[in-house]
Amino acid sequence: MANVGIVGIGHTKFGNSSEYDLSDVLSYAAFDALEDANFLSRRREIDQVIVGNMASGLFCHQSAVASALVSRMDMEPVPAELVENGPASGASAIKIGYMAIASGMADIVLVVGGEIMRKVSGWVGTDYVATMLQTETEYNMGLTLPAFGGMFTRMYMERYGLTQRDLALLAVKNHENGSKNKYAHIQAPISIEAISDGPEAAVVNTYVAEPLRMYSTCPVSDGAAALLLVNMDSEKAKSFPKKPIRIAGIASATDTHCVHNRKDPLVLDAVRIAAEKAYAMAGLTPKDISFAELHDAFSILELAISEEVGFFEKGKSYLSVRKGETNIDGRLPINTSGGLKSKGHPVGATGVSQAVELVRQLRGEAEKGRQVSNPHYGMSVNFGGFGNNVVALICAKE
Amino acid sequence: MIDFSMYEVKEPKISAYRCTSCGTLYYPAPMVCKTCNCRRDPVTNKGWETFDLQGPCTLLSWTRLWNLPEGYTKKNMMFGIVEFENGLRASGQLEVEDPQTGMKLVAEVVESDERPGKSVNVFVFRQ
Repeated sequence: MANVGIVGIGHTKFGNSSEYDLSDVLSYAAFDALEDANFLSRRREIDQVIVGNMASGLFCHQSAVASALVSRMDMEPVPAELVENGPASGASAIKIGYMAIASGMADIVLVVGGEIMRKVSGWVGTDYVATMLQTETEYNMGLTLPAFGGMFTRMYMERYGLTQRDLALLAVKNHENGSKNKYAHIQAPISIEAISDGPEAAVVNTYVAEPLRMYSTCPVSDGAAALLLVNMDSEKAKSFPKKPIRIAGIASATDTHCVHNRKDPLVLDAVRIAAEKAYAMAGLTPKDISFAELHDAFSILELAISEEVGFFEKGKSYLSVRKGETNIDGRLPINTSGGLKSKGHPVGATGVSQAVELVRQLRGEAEKGRQVSNPHYGMSVNFGGFGNNVVALICAKE
Repeated sequence: MIDFSMYEVKEPKISAYRCTSCGTLYYPAPMVCKTCNCRRDPVTNKGWETFDLQGPCTLLSWTRLWNLPEGYTKKNMMFGIVEFENGLRASGQLEVEDPQTGMKLVAEVVESDERPGKSVNVFVFRQ
């Protein structure tokens, strides 16, 4: 199987891009990735374009966005397809791009993930996102993704002793990182006094889905991110100016669509299995990972995912957060980009955005104050549905 | 006076499923039994039995949701996951004064027209 590397990255600033056309936002990230790889003028040599997007038909009343992107970028007749896997659409697009190269069908693949969610109101958007739940037993009942985030958080708190303050500590850490990330939606640090310890905290940090509060929930964001993948064993790989960041492992797994049908709803089987497969593919263990980007759509997920991928014992991850072990200067920095909490979560973009962060850190290109010291392996987990379709990615500095 | 009872007003119900080959229970219905691989035909249900899912249950977790989606006009709503006495679990709406994990509840089924499209039957868990 061919070695696959990332030779170009692009990223829009996440936030409110609702005045723009989705294909323009996707193109912006694609252009940056091609420019980063010094491949813009040769873009028709790309063998395959793959776009990750969850719901442009709902949010933007627009379909066939992969074709739109190719045309917007003046890249015809390059083949282009769309990949949809809910909030893990981005990482699934990377996986399909990897498979295209590994299979020998392609040498150069452009992967773009993007979403514009803010063209509709918050309550309409909440309804659209909820359509990924099981229709008959979850969506029809009135349940939403934050509702499951709240119930999951309560179960974790009652079983393992997690407190509201622990969740606030995660928000403080991720906002500190995001405040230094030029691509983050919310580039503002917050204090533990403001959202947990101070007299106004309950007003500043109101409930969203009890016991989850606003600062334990990601914002609704627009944006896109892009990668240029290359067959590292091909002649073409030699023409790129920057050393490729190798995809050492990439894998996905599924779990029950209905959350209530999991033997233990606190166990995220798809996360664990995807991570195990990615470690096996890379020939690595959790101890080898230098830093990670974990899908904290709700802060509790950063903790639960970090346990499932083997960084911490079950129910113990928050103790490491209290000790600062997952801070930028800790022994295992997590969500160095600010995570979904601060960087934002344009659903179809997130998996690609996580990979962009892995590349920036491994190249040593992260901003001052949030660059991990001498990283070798970065890992990301992109969480589809409420954990029913998950992708794990490990990138390596060669 | 018109006697509407002649129109046979239907009580809202939610069905669970039993594979008659091996007895495994399901909610919602699968297309194939995980235990014996027996196929369920979604039209005829041949080889499968249905039964009403309702009655006594235990609350496993709950939340009060403050950012309700399109269609819901309340300020907030509570939702929970419960386990029935037969081991099946379900998610639904929760209407109790002071919810506590582990409390005994009763699952009732009501008709709801809050989501877009046709009315649907939903669980409401009460004391």
